[in-house]
Amino acid sequence: MSAPLLELVRSRHVLVCVGAGGVGKTTVAAALALEAARRGRRTVVITIDPARRLADALGLDDLGNEPRPLPGEVLASLEMGAGGELSAMMLDMKRTFDDLVERFAPDPQTRQRILSNPIYQHVSDALAGSAEYSAMEKVYELSQRETFDLIVVDTPPSQHALDFLDAPQRLIAFLDSRLVQLLVHPAFAAGRLGFRVFQRPAHGALKIVERVSGVAFLEDISEFVLAFEGMSEGFRERARQVRALLLGPRSGFVLVSGPGSRAIGDARRFLGRLESGGIPVAGVIFNRMRTWPEGGDPPAQVPLGGQGEAAVRSLAAAFAASEGESFPAERAARAAIEAVAGYASAVRRDREVTEALVAEAGGTLGFAARVPELALDVHDLEGLSRIATHLFPGEDARGDGT
Amino acid sequence: MSAPERPLLERRLVIVTGKGGTGKSSVVAALALAAAQRGRRVCVVETGLDEQVPRLFDPAAPPVGYAGRVIHDGVTALRIEPYAALAEYLGLQIGGRRVVELVFRNKAFRQLMDAAPGWRELITLGKVWHLEQQHEEGGAARYDLILVDAPATGHGLTFLDVPRVAVAAVRMGPLRRHAGWVEEMIRDGRRTLLLPVALAEELPVRETAELVERVRRELDVSVDRVVVNAVAPAPFPSDLADLDARLGRLPDDAPLAGLPRPATLAACAAHLRQRHELNAHHLRAIGRATGLPVVPLPYLPSGVAGPDDLARLAEALLAEPRECGP
Repeated sequence: MSAPLLELVRSRHVLVCVGAGGVGKTTVAAALALEAARRGRRTVVITIDPARRLADALGLDDLGNEPRPLPGEVLASLEMGAGGELSAMMLDMKRTFDDLVERFAPDPQTRQRILSNPIYQHVSDALAGSAEYSAMEKVYELSQRETFDLIVVDTPPSQHALDFLDAPQRLIAFLDSRLVQLLVHPAFAAGRLGFRVFQRPAHGALKIVERVSGVAFLEDISEFVLAFEGMSEGFRERARQVRALLLGPRSGFVLVSGPGSRAIGDARRFLGRLESGGIPVAGVIFNRMRTWPEGGDPPAQVPLGGQGEAAVRSLAAAFAASEGESFPAERAARAAIEAVAGYASAVRRDREVTEALVAEAGGTLGFAARVPELALDVHDLEGLSRIATHLFPGEDARGDGT
Repeated sequence: MSAPERPLLERRLVIVTGKGGTGKSSVVAALALAAAQRGRRVCVVETGLDEQVPRLFDPAAPPVGYAGRVIHDGVTALRIEPYAALAEYLGLQIGGRRVVELVFRNKAFRQLMDAAPGWRELITLGKVWHLEQQHEEGGAARYDLILVDAPATGHGLTFLDVPRVAVAAVRMGPLRRHAGWVEEMIRDGRRTLLLPVALAEELPVRETAELVERVRRELDVSVDRVVVNAVAPAPFPSDLADLDARLGRLPDDAPLAGLPRPATLAACAAHLRQRHELNAHHLRAIGRATGLPVVPLPYLPSGVAGPDDLARLAEALLAEPRECGP
């Protein structure tokens, strides 16, 4: 199952980028999609909440909830491989959920009853994991259309890495629950399930919910459940298919992390939860790594040990020669050496903590790729292109897709 | 642009909000330490799946759980687990632990609650309200300051909006009354402050502006400053701000004792300067976009690793907020 990143981008059908917020997941997802398109694949990247200028660069000026091809002149400048296409879409979570209701509602009246029910209106954005689930639902829908070879999706940041897989189960469990059935049509539930066995505790629970919540809330729930009942089977089957697609061999989960101590802690927890949920992680991408200008590790003499004063004197002398006598050469030398020494230790630290995480994961990761921290924000295709270059070093995309 | 109305630590309740990765738990921990050092009795409330704050005081700290524990002199921490809070609430309402246990063991009840939206937020805020109301026997409040590490998802706004929704949706009964008390607490600017934490990066600038706008328009919760975490310090003294360019002008064969070549030094220095300038640019943008004073916190290269680091953050947090004009 373990494959290098290039292999994933070339052959998988779905790539799910997971990770905590603030690590540059959206940018990484877009760079992976760009690379795939350059290699001749019809690609779409689904993002949740891109930075404004990146959204503009991808032609995402509104919440269309439909993939939109990048403008032709933009694509022309990207030297796409033959057949390669790149589309982008910004996910409208509420609308995706509404679409799902439209699809499975047996008739227009039911659809209207559901969409206007106050409980539904809160369920669709407040049910934990519905955001994640609606992203995956969209992936599945696009996958069914067969207009894309590769779908790259940027998941919403979440502490619960697996919410997007659990959310449909939870909704179904709710719809199927005996309490809900009892609420909706007690006589039917009693006949089918054996009234005496469970009626007392459920009835007690109901009394308490009623006493604490007031009655209107329960009425809204019943209305919602009744309207939803005919759709339960459709939802269930759909959820099963979404899960099968995501956990199947054509999909891959890529963990995106930063090198900061907080990000590494989050990444560690993500790996643990994915593993305990039985979800294989294809590999990890460390974004925003501080790197040494010449590549590799900083030379061992930085930061300076006992040689410090000699180094300051030599740099001060070089400054005096180049900047003239009025320049505070020694102070400048000290400031420069201090800053560079600090940077060198940051470079080492970033490498060490990321290597430690990879070592902890054992042999389960197919790759660990690193992208350097760039001096400017990535907000255009040129920036994405630079990230792709770091993710796929020494690979010539154009020779590949033809 | 208005200066903050009152000092940070004089509120009863400070709700620290921010997206994942902004370091809001560090801000909560630093505020807790600062308040405790000034003699306040502090209660830290965790709402996430993973407890963060106790570990910032002591990396080896065991979980505090719902029961809570003193994690530092003057600082109590607890994690609000929604089911535990619900059990406590129902126990108070019904007055019988056994009945509540019976209800909680009911599988159908669990299924209903697992799927039902909104109640977790409501019960969490209800517990916060309860903590705020607790008094010692002499009549003094049990906690002078309650610091909530708000959930990271959805800007933490859904979290604060739930009492209003509940008051609107539930037409009668004790729940409606209690939700009303919680809403009143959240909207009382003398008691409660919402403290957004952001990073000086492009996306957080926009998100923070949207957050502040929504808080003003929809929530009516007091927000009077924005904390910007992990701000890269200026790499060189201000009169040597162009040091990277000067390094770049050195001849490449300059005899340097035990140092990388000038071009490498210049490249490192240029990177540090550009990152700092980018940070400063976004910091100004946050001030402009929100119209609020900005409180920058220094970037700590190794993260927060104990009370010394927290004290550094606390000092920056309690400094007068910086006006960030256009």
